Order: sequence, then structure tokens, then C-alpha cells
Amino acid sequence: MRWFGFGFNAFGQICVAEGKVKCPTELSGGGCCSESRHIRASWSRRASLSLDGGSCVSLSGFGDALSSESCRAPLAESRGCKDALLGELYLTLAFPDRIESWDLRKTSKTPSWRMDIQTQSESSGAPLNLPLVPGGFIATKPPFYRPLSPDLRAKSLALGAGHAVLLTATGAVYSWGLGSHGQLGHGGLTSEEQPRAVEALWGMPMSSVAAGGWHSACISDGGDLYVWGWNEVGQLGLPSQGLRKASQQQISQAGELHHDATKGEKSEEVFISIQAFPALLDVTPSCEISKVSCGSRHTAAVTTTGDLYTWGWGEYGQLGHQSFTTLDEPHHVEFFRDQQMRVVDVVCGTWNTFAAVIKEEETCSENKTPSLS
Amino acid sequence: MATLWSQISAVLPPNEEEFLLQFSDTVEPSVVDVLKRSRQQLYTDAASASRTLNAQIVLDFSWEKLNTGTWRHVDKEWRRVYSYGCLFKVAALCREGPSEDEIRQAIRTCDMGLLMGAAIMDDILQVVVGILQGEVQKSSKEERDAEHTVIKRVKMESPRAPVIKEEMAVPRIKCPSLESFNTNYLLPQKPVILEGIIDHWPALNEHPWSIDYLKSVAGCRTVPVEVGSRYTDEEWSQTLLTVSEFIDRYILNKDDVKGLGYLAQHQLFDQIPELKEDIRLPDYCCLGKGDEDEITINAWFGPGGTVSPLHQDPQQNFLAQVVGSKYIRLYSPEDTVKLYPHQSQLLHNTSQVEVENPDTERFPEFTKAPYHECVLQPGDVLFIPVRHWHYVRSLELSFSVSFWWS
Repeated sequence: MRWFGFGFNAFGQICVAEGKVKCPTELSGGGCCSESRHIRASWSRRASLSLDGGSCVSLSGFGDALSSESCRAPLAESRGCKDALLGELYLTLAFPDRIESWDLRKTSKTPSWRMDIQTQSESSGAPLNLPLVPGGFIATKPPFYRPLSPDLRAKSLALGAGHAVLLTATGAVYSWGLGSHGQLGHGGLTSEEQPRAVEALWGMPMSSVAAGGWHSACISDGGDLYVWGWNEVGQLGLPSQGLRKASQQQISQAGELHHDATKGEKSEEVFISIQAFPALLDVTPSCEISKVSCGSRHTAAVTTTGDLYTWGWGEYGQLGHQSFTTLDEPHHVEFFRDQQMRVVDVVCGTWNTFAAVIKEEETCSENKTPSLS
Repeated sequence: MATLWSQISAVLPPNEEEFLLQFSDTVEPSVVDVLKRSRQQLYTDAASASRTLNAQIVLDFSWEKLNTGTWRHVDKEWRRVYSYGCLFKVAALCREGPSEDEIRQAIRTCDMGLLMGAAIMDDILQVVVGILQGEVQKSSKEERDAEHTVIKRVKMESPRAPVIKEEMAVPRIKCPSLESFNTNYLLPQKPVILEGIIDHWPALNEHPWSIDYLKSVAGCRTVPVEVGSRYTDEEWSQTLLTVSEFIDRYILNKDDVKGLGYLAQHQLFDQIPELKEDIRLPDYCCLGKGDEDEITINAWFGPGGTVSPLHQDPQQNFLAQVVGSKYIRLYSPEDTVKLYPHQSQLLHNTSQVEVENPDTERFPEFTKAPYHECVLQPGDVLFIPVRHWHYVRSLELSFSVSFWWS
């Protein structure tokens, strides 16, 4: 599996290059570290998590001396970790017997916080899935440990800028935190202290959840994508008035188009500023969605056919369309198709995007974990 | 004549060492790193694209923080970071012989910093915007001269003034002494119109506030504008426009835009000190217990037909009418139950009743509430006692200044 990155790169967290990367660029270190990797991204850094052999984490981005070496030294402290969570100030590592949070501002040899956890035996079920930990979850800032009711039977959890979206073992979705822009999906703009079920999704089991700056998304068992929250720059993939205004201004500044010419159709259109209930988004008419991830103001989704679609804020190149355009509808990222690559996973950083790909030939080994190529 | 950039760099610290960047722990080291890169680029030769990018990163990051959570819970440090972003963006725009459009963008950037940011470096954005405005005023004078004829036409609009019933008229008094105002109106909390107390304002003499004058002093400045008939409407929204755009669109109706625009409840005089020199604090404010700098001065500038629904404010108010006239109705706080305030937390200081067209079935008690009314004319100052309900409708092009004091 190879990983590509694009978008915000002011700290060299994607590659050694300028501050914005508009063309998907392969992440270095693929060859020598590990074949089975995962990516975690904060605003200024990227963590590569290797899971086979001596599992470990290596960081690139802020604080890294921008070395041109193809493989960054893994953090010695991370040997044996099973999962990682990267915030702007802390790196949290999950080991089979403990959780540690490391302060990235310090060079200390001990973690700034740790907790012991029950060793998960093979039979006890779910592997570690940060930010979830037994009995609660880990926040990106102190206090790190926050308890969750066991009644929720949490399966996975996505943390946004000020809100959280949780998926239960039965496929129900709960949300809490800031609700100012409809990001909780309860229909209002109020905040919630405690997890509250997103009732509009009742009866439709979900398989995955994602949370961005002020928006959220989830995928149903049937592969449908639902989105809700703020649509200020089209991050929901729904018509955004701010965006249309901006592009019209550009057109009229170019002096080509008269105001009257656009008025007719403009008045017909319904714009969405805030979507306070989940809305079904048609990314592509023919296939199902398998993965979704949200950046602070953009969204990326992968289809079961291996295509990547992105939409929302694009000024740092985070949409991968080899431009800095912002889009309020899903667009196919042509790059991977052109390179005969099949996208199998996507992870959004705050203002950038990382995609995992395999070569097109491997598609016959469907659904199996991609093997060493 | 010094170049624009040399004027701007003259007000910046002389070197990188003296340009301090100090923030609390709230601001992550990675953000401070970008701020430092921007600072370094102020004093060295850097590619203009890189300057612009670093400034934009600071602005985008702090903008996200300013929009996370409620405004009053946002750490003030992020408002400072936002102001630094504005300063660096202005520097990037003005470094290499800026075009007129770039100068306007720079002024807009300063205004965004003044509106959303917090003061940094002795309010340097205020100083910089002054320099930039001087540059624009040179070039835009001729344009305005050509527009003179259009402006005259607007002033002809005839006001639709209601007849004021004498028994309900707000009393008028000419220049009362502090003592008599205190005894007869402030202490018993009675509304009154004070006449002759602002006749000496430059806004009514040396620089009579006209569309022309406002355009010349503030035309290129960005201000918040309320769009929609009244703030209780579904369709109501706020937008940012330059004073010139606002005047052209909503006062001169140049592009045939439907709907009303109102530059309302904005602290314009903090943003544009030149306009503040045209007004004075009413002497009667000294009867309050608060400090002079705790007085909030707001501008209310708009075409005929703007409506402020019936509402109450938590402070004493002097509403000074400078241009045009306004119909105002006042209800005592004792009659609050008859006014049907909104239930919601956000609008509980606002009545649900449309004052000049009340729904008597839904709000049967409303017509039983006694009230005072008046038409405020240029030079009049209305004293609205604290928590007195007031409804305001402009009868023509109008500019009022309100002073909230305690």
C-alpha cells in the first residue's frame, strides 16, 4: 500500500516542497519502514504508523529539521504501539497494556500522561481504536481521559474541532459538543454536553463516522453517505451561496458577464448554509461509499470501485484536483485513475488529505488486505 | 513624496528584534512559527508569493479559532493573532508598488482586523489604515465630483411622517441645566427630547454629514451592514460592505437591489476616528456613574424605511439625530407584559408585536399599553431611559448616533 498526500504543507508534512501541494505526491519512507501503514495528521504534522513487525510511529512536519532522507527515524518510545492519535500539541500512543500522551513541545523521556488498561485478550473483542479506550476516550488536550457510558457500546469515535461523533456497535450515531453550525445533526444549533442519538438516522445502521471543523459525515451499511453541519465553503457538497457569490464576483470583475444574464437561474437555486439534520449526498450515482474523512472545511470519500472524490475548501490544494479551487459538489480526483491506481483509504488532515492506493492489477484480490507488492 | 511602503515601514518596529511576538500557551508553537516567518519576511527580501501565503495561513488558522465556540468564549489571543495576520497581509500587498485594487484590499484587510481582531502594537492597524486611506483619497476625489448630480436627487424623497398625537408627544426642552435634567428626567426615568445640545457638533456645521462627505471620509472602509427589513425576520442577514458600496447599493439604489440595507449598531467612530471628531459626548452623560470611556457610541445610517423592532436596552441612551428624521415610539418597562417579548433567550429583549400594524388577536393587551411618540429631527437628542422599550422607523435618509451610558 502506498500513500499520497496533497494540500497544506507549510511544515513539510507531506514532502520537501513549497507550502501548498496541489498535485498528489507520494509520501516518502514507504519502502524502508513498513508495508502496512496508517496515517494520522494534525494541522502541522503527519504521523506514519507502521503496524507489522516492530510497530512504531514516525513524525514529519513541524519541529522536524526537514531532512531530505527518504525515511524518518521512528520514535523509540513508540515501539510496540498499536494505534496513535495526533493533535497539535500531543501524540497519544495506545499499547496493549497502556495509553501514553507525549507533549510534542518537550523533549522529555517520559510521557506527560499515561494510564494502564486491561490487556485485551484475543477473545475480549475489539482491538484498540483510538480515540476510544476501554471505558472512555482520549481527547487531544488535557484532561486526556474522558469517560463514556458503557451502555453506548462505542465502536468508533471521530473528534471534530469542537464536537464528537460516535458510532455504536449496533450502527447508531451519537454526537455531542459544539452545535453552533448544525454539526451535531439534531436539527438545532445548540450544544450538547452528553452524547445524544442522531434520531434522524434511527433504523439505518451506519458503518463509519467522520467529523470536521464544523461538519460531520457517516456511511450507512448500504454504502450511502450522509452529511450535516456548516456548508460555508461547500464542505457538505451542497450548493453554497458564499461560493457562488465569490465566483460570480470573479466573473463580473473579468467584465464578461452582465448581472442580468445570471439573475434568472440564480433565483431558482436553493442554497444551503447550515444543514442541521443529516442529508443524503449523491457522490456518484453508480457506486457505494466505503470510506469518508473530514478536514476542517473539506471532505473526502472513497468508493468501493476505488475512486476518490473530494469537495469543500480547496485553497491549499487539499482537494487534489491539481488546482486551488473550492468546490461545493463532489468531484472525482482524476490523478489516481490516470495512474491506474485504486484508492483504498483516505485520511484528511486539517487542511490536507492523504490517500492510500494499490495498483489497479491488485483489484482481483478483492477485499483482502493488500499484500506485499 | 514617500512611497506607500516606506510610509508603512516607518510605523513598523525598526528591526526584527524589536518586533515582539508574545502569546500565551493558547497559541500553539507551530502557529507562532508561521508568525515568526512572516515577521522575518518583513525585514528581508522574500518571494511575494511566500509572504502572501504565510500571512494567509495565520489568517485562516485564527479565523477558524474565532469561529469555534461562541464569540465571547474565544480566547482574546486568537483575536490578536488574527490582527497580526492582517498586518502581515497588508505588508505583503503593499510591499512592491501596489495597484489601486491592492490598496483597497489592504484597507479591507485592516478593517477586518479592526472589526474581528484585537488591538496589537499600539493599535497599528488603525495607523496603517490611515496611511492607506490617504493614498486612496488622492485618487478618488475626481470620481466623486462627477457624482454630485445623482446625490441631489435622492434627498428629494418625501417623508411619510405619521401625525403625532399631542397628548402622547414626547416633551421637548431646550438646553436644560444638568441639575434640571437630572431632577426632572433622569431620576424619574422620563423620556425627553433635548433641543439645541448638539448644534455645535462639526457634523452639523463645518462638515455637515452628507453622502458626499461620508464617501470622502469613509468610502473605502468596510463596515457591517444589516440586510432585510427588521432583525426579527427570517430573511435578515448581516454582510460586510465598504461605505461606498453600501451608499451606492442601499441609499442611491444604483444596482436596483431589492430590500433594505442598514448600517446599524456599529461602533463606526472607533473604527474611523476622523468621524469621531465631528461629534461630541453629551455633557449629561457625566451624570452617570460609569467612566467616559465606557460609553458605547454607535452609528445608525440608512435609507428611509429601516425599522428597529420594539426592544429595550440595558443602558441609558441618548439618541442624537444628525441627518433626516425618524419616527419613534416609547413604552415604559412597567408595561412589559403588554408588549409580548419573545420567549427565546436571544430575543427576550424584543417584542413580538409589529408596532404600527399589531396583530390584535394574538396580542390583545398591546393596544392597552400607553406610549409616547415623536418624530426626531436633525439636531434633536432623545433621552431613552434604561430598559424603556423603543421602536424606530426612519422616514427618509437618516444618520443617528446613539450613546449608551450608565
